[in-house]
Amino acid sequence: MGRYGFVAKRLAVSVPLLMGVVFLVFLLLKVTPGDPARVVAGLRASDADVAEVRQELGLDDPVVVQYGKYLGGVVQGDFGYSFKSRQPVTSLIGDRLEPSVWLIAGGLLVSLAIALPLGIWAAYRRDGLADQLIRGLSLLGVTLPAFWVGLMLIILVALPTGWFPTGGFGDSAASHLHHIVLPSATLGVSMAPVLIRSLRSSTNRVLESDYVQLGRSIGSSGVGLIRRFVARNTVSSMITLLAIETSFLLFGMLVIETTFSIPGLGQGMVLAASQRDFPAIQGYTLLFAIVVVGVYLVADVINTLIDPRVEISG
Amino acid sequence: MTASVTETVEAAPRLRPRAWTAWTAQMSAKFWVGAVIVAVYILLALLAPVIAPHDPNSQDVVNRLADPSWDHLAGTDELGRDVFSRLLHAARVDLTVGFLGALLPLLVGTAIGALAGYIGGWVDAVIMRVADVVQAFPPYILMIALVFALGQGAGTILLAFALTVWVIYARLIRDEILRVRGLDYVHAARASGIPRWRIIVRHVLPNTMSQSLVYFTTDILFAILALAAFSFIGLGIPPPTAEWGAMIEGGKEFLRDSWWLTASPGIALSILGLGFMLLGDGLDDWLSR
Repeated sequence: MGRYGFVAKRLAVSVPLLMGVVFLVFLLLKVTPGDPARVVAGLRASDADVAEVRQELGLDDPVVVQYGKYLGGVVQGDFGYSFKSRQPVTSLIGDRLEPSVWLIAGGLLVSLAIALPLGIWAAYRRDGLADQLIRGLSLLGVTLPAFWVGLMLIILVALPTGWFPTGGFGDSAASHLHHIVLPSATLGVSMAPVLIRSLRSSTNRVLESDYVQLGRSIGSSGVGLIRRFVARNTVSSMITLLAIETSFLLFGMLVIETTFSIPGLGQGMVLAASQRDFPAIQGYTLLFAIVVVGVYLVADVINTLIDPRVEISG
Repeated sequence: MTASVTETVEAAPRLRPRAWTAWTAQMSAKFWVGAVIVAVYILLALLAPVIAPHDPNSQDVVNRLADPSWDHLAGTDELGRDVFSRLLHAARVDLTVGFLGALLPLLVGTAIGALAGYIGGWVDAVIMRVADVVQAFPPYILMIALVFALGQGAGTILLAFALTVWVIYARLIRDEILRVRGLDYVHAARASGIPRWRIIVRHVLPNTMSQSLVYFTTDILFAILALAAFSFIGLGIPPPTAEWGAMIEGGKEFLRDSWWLTASPGIALSILGLGFMLLGDGLDDWLSR
């Protein structure tokens, strides 16, 4: 099968997967105790009002029909209406998108800035002092809760120096950047350990390979060897790894937005939970799952296109 | 083919009582440091009611937000509760939820994976497609949605772990069943009339047990971290139960003057976390040596 055939097949596999994702999210509402119609109508509504709302929301339909309607809506970009604000969930998401994109971009940058040099360095000096130190630190790093790291940065950096705001998002691009420094550092630090560990082992594999031995034998060493023979060959495993990290990145984002009061998607989901706003919770959950499925898809496609060795199994 | 058979026979190191001394000699310093840290925490958690200097929930409003002193080793919180005693009692909650939160997915996942591999056919297909869907969600996001849907509390958090983390163990055991199926000694066992479930128990489970154990060790840590994060965003165990994540959240309002309220539960959590990571890493090194 050619590469484009693989891409097409990979796309086709994602469709039933996404339908399953939508079904699971739909199912969440069904297992929730309590009557959604009662929540929408309000506590003081009469039984007749509640019945009317039930009718309106389609809650009297058979479950299969409800799923069909929900799926149909999702396909057309309709995630339902927030119980709380009565606005479309998609517009809630749209309003909160920008801060999250800033935070994720910043977090990715910081984590790569930490992990790339350290991971490759550790592999290059395998079992040396640097390697052991880096391994020890990344082991400790995995265990630090992201929100705690954020609060420690506030205590140790923001409060004593006054250089950075302790929360919020500001209202201009420069101000966004200023507000996003500490949250990005937090996200980056919490993601870096896993990146370092994987990068170290994949670089080790590359270092042991024949072509690197060849590189060494023609007199290449140090930064030149890393650049010409090693770095390029770790790219595809980095892409896969970043895709896997996305899952954790989204949760980190949620926790860190709560820590720093950033009005992004993660804070939106936490807020929706505290307001018992079910359609909003569904919407955020669905959005995050779609992002993960999409990122895996893109990572697979990129790897197929840049690396001729990628073979398709199953 | 023959190579893979010898591999399987040798791949699964198993513990026998007389091998205990040989085994202890094989484990790295890393493993033992981790084991000691975890053991100390378990001991502190068990003894918390005895060694805690104060009742973790007794309030002393006159003495609120007190600095650390000999009477209050880690100071007092906004309600005048002794933070050190709360840290000790929180270890009980966090370790229990962490242990059960790792054990339930292990049991559920192993059972489901064995079922998928044992029955095969459409049952296997359905189970694996469900696993694909569950894995499409960012791990903790689905848990949040589940905890939200099922209602707050330790029970629902454990249920949410069981419903999401089982996938890893199910894949592990199912893949092992499929791998072993074609091997000569399994053919021999089947030909001599040994029922399939016994082959799974005797020949498949021992092979997956060691890898499951490594996952399990680090899963305890991830369950504790998840619980702490859930408490922090308000979906954890309801107050006034002492729990590290909830304590960090409680100190959030007092960062400037009473930073230890936030710092101390995080430090307690990180040291325990390091213990579990070292333990898991040490086990992993030993298994893949």
